[in-house]
Amino acid sequence: MATTRTRVSSFAPNLSSVKSSQHLGLKNGPNGATFISSGISDLDKILGGGFTLGSLVMIMEDAEAPHHMLLLRNFMSQGLLHRQPLLYSSPSKDPRGFLGTLPSPGSSKDDISREPSHEKDLRIAWQYKKYFSVPQLNINTNNGGQHDYCNDLDLRKPLERHFITSNNVDCVSIQNSQNLDVLKDRCAEFLAQFSRNEGGSSSAGRIAIQSFCSPQCKYSDMEWHMLSFIRSLKGMARSSNVVVVVTFPPSLLSPSCSKRLQHMADTLLSVRAIPDEDKELAKLLTGYQDMVGLLNVHKVARLNTQVPVILEATTFSIKLQKRKYLVFECLNQAPVDGSGGSSYGNYDGCSRSTKAVSLDF
Amino acid sequence: MAESVCRSLRDGALEGELAPTLTIKDSLASPFGFNVFSHILVQLSSQIVAGKSQSQGIMIVALSRSPSSYIDLLKTSGVDVESSKKWIHILDCYTDPLGWKDKRRKSGDITDPSNQILSSYKTVKDVNKLFSVICDLGRGLVGESKSRFCVAIDSLSELLRHSSVQSVASLLSNLRSHEQISCIFGLLHSDLHEERAVAVVEYTSSMVASVDPFHHSVDGQGSYLGNSSRQNLTKGKFNVRCKRRNGRVRVTCEEFRVEPSGISFAPVSSVDGAAVAVAGLIPKVQFNLQLSEKERVDRSRVVLPFEHQGNGKPIQIYDGRRSLEDSKNEATPISGGKKEDSGRGEIIYYRDSDDEMLDSDEDPDDDLDI
Repeated sequence: MATTRTRVSSFAPNLSSVKSSQHLGLKNGPNGATFISSGISDLDKILGGGFTLGSLVMIMEDAEAPHHMLLLRNFMSQGLLHRQPLLYSSPSKDPRGFLGTLPSPGSSKDDISREPSHEKDLRIAWQYKKYFSVPQLNINTNNGGQHDYCNDLDLRKPLERHFITSNNVDCVSIQNSQNLDVLKDRCAEFLAQFSRNEGGSSSAGRIAIQSFCSPQCKYSDMEWHMLSFIRSLKGMARSSNVVVVVTFPPSLLSPSCSKRLQHMADTLLSVRAIPDEDKELAKLLTGYQDMVGLLNVHKVARLNTQVPVILEATTFSIKLQKRKYLVFECLNQAPVDGSGGSSYGNYDGCSRSTKAVSLDF
Repeated sequence: MAESVCRSLRDGALEGELAPTLTIKDSLASPFGFNVFSHILVQLSSQIVAGKSQSQGIMIVALSRSPSSYIDLLKTSGVDVESSKKWIHILDCYTDPLGWKDKRRKSGDITDPSNQILSSYKTVKDVNKLFSVICDLGRGLVGESKSRFCVAIDSLSELLRHSSVQSVASLLSNLRSHEQISCIFGLLHSDLHEERAVAVVEYTSSMVASVDPFHHSVDGQGSYLGNSSRQNLTKGKFNVRCKRRNGRVRVTCEEFRVEPSGISFAPVSSVDGAAVAVAGLIPKVQFNLQLSEKERVDRSRVVLPFEHQGNGKPIQIYDGRRSLEDSKNEATPISGGKKEDSGRGEIIYYRDSDDEMLDSDEDPDDDLDI
């Protein structure tokens, strides 16, 4: 259309950079996607920028470990720090109580120091050294800009009260509701504020639903009801500037329901517990002492494009650096002989204990 | 381990946290769940009487055994049931769980005033009411103050029989979050229920102790048919999975032996099948990324090909021919060998294929300027 042809080149990217700088915490990405931070800088890097606005993120819980709470805490806290409205729902009687455990940005004195970069000790047998003073290694040092988008959240320091008591936060308890209609209405109300169609506010919002099919909820055996709720939530979220994070324990659902929920997710993560003081695992993995669990990235949201994301690694170890900061690291593992054991793909996030089977012939 | 399980129950819940909950799981192949349950009950009771535990009282919800059997059990184990300070209360859901005997009369729960320990409960199906009765009686036991009591549920299987999984899950989670409850433990027969029900109970508990037969039979049938049946009659494996606060799971395994006097635990004697839990957790990698200590030391000692250059000497770029230094050190002069005359920029090269070492100019290791 001629009226919009004010640009010099037809290939100029149609980014409104003014818009994103006004709203803290938004980052533009490829294919017209806008990202918001998950609160964990490692996770943002793994996902290629952060959580895409309009996407549904599902986190599969492990029945034996509370790591999904760590992810949720960082997600919620980051949103509050950026003044992004938050809707939180949980199966406990008093969801507001959980807000007291949200982390606060750590003091700038102790920046997360990554493992002393092996790059320093990297010796390069490169004969063209004389043409360059020092081989420049690409270390990302734009920490200043990084902090605006994603803060290093200290899990031991609670978030300041004024963030929580502001009108930004809304909590819903789904413990006593007979079905999900109450939650659906609250979500619909919340999402209406961020609708993209009206071209109104371009701020972002966050919805966090914790332990979605927790067994103490009355609707927990109404599987089709839960599936249709998630489906409508996803549809509503798609046309708004909101990221919805839902955690659910897949081992408590029937396999087909669990699979359906996994397929509905735009971004699918799962957290798993690791055995404590396990000598086998300590031999296999370096840094086992600091690990608290494992994170698997099954799917990464790619809206507006058909090109899938292929990650270098999908399994990461969850560590608490200095017992405060959540970091994800690639696994450094010794190989097992590939002859025995089931393949990785079969491990579906079930937390059953594998019993030692001795075959008696 | 049984010791650590008893210890965590004894220590109870911290302020603001959910109460530790133990589920003892057994099956037909190794039906000793009740032995474990009574062992833990006796241990905890003696600690309560001695004042060593966080809880000051215990509520037993008796669903599958009569209350009198519990009193006898405690008496024979030497625990003082009739002590002056009331520390135990048994909720009798065994005699008449559904209120059939009182169908004609409209009566609720009767607290027998003469017997201070017992009260009967007649509406097992109403789990909400069960919860409130437990809380009220427990409060009556330990008082209104900060003191806590623990709850022993005789058989979660019985509860699951009478009411839905969802209501049992909500009962457990309500009990766990009650500020006066120190710990909870219950028995579950895993083969009586669907997998989902067992998974739900495991999800709600913080420790899962499973009583397993000594040898798993191959065909899945009860191993009383198997060869090792005699062993399985009195012995078995006690596997515990504890969820720790940091998110890790402590997995322990012990052997137990059932004797007339009770049950005893011992560390695993034979190395009978290593744990394979690890295999599924991390992806399989086929190449060795780790270095042994010796390898690491050796690696640090290796001088890389171009590293030693530039230390005062001019850095020479290898361009396919042997460097000057190598040719100088060459013991056997090679006729027609390559020569790089850096001064004048002339290159004189005679190649005589007879005298030349085979593939000397194709040796890829030539450029390793060590």
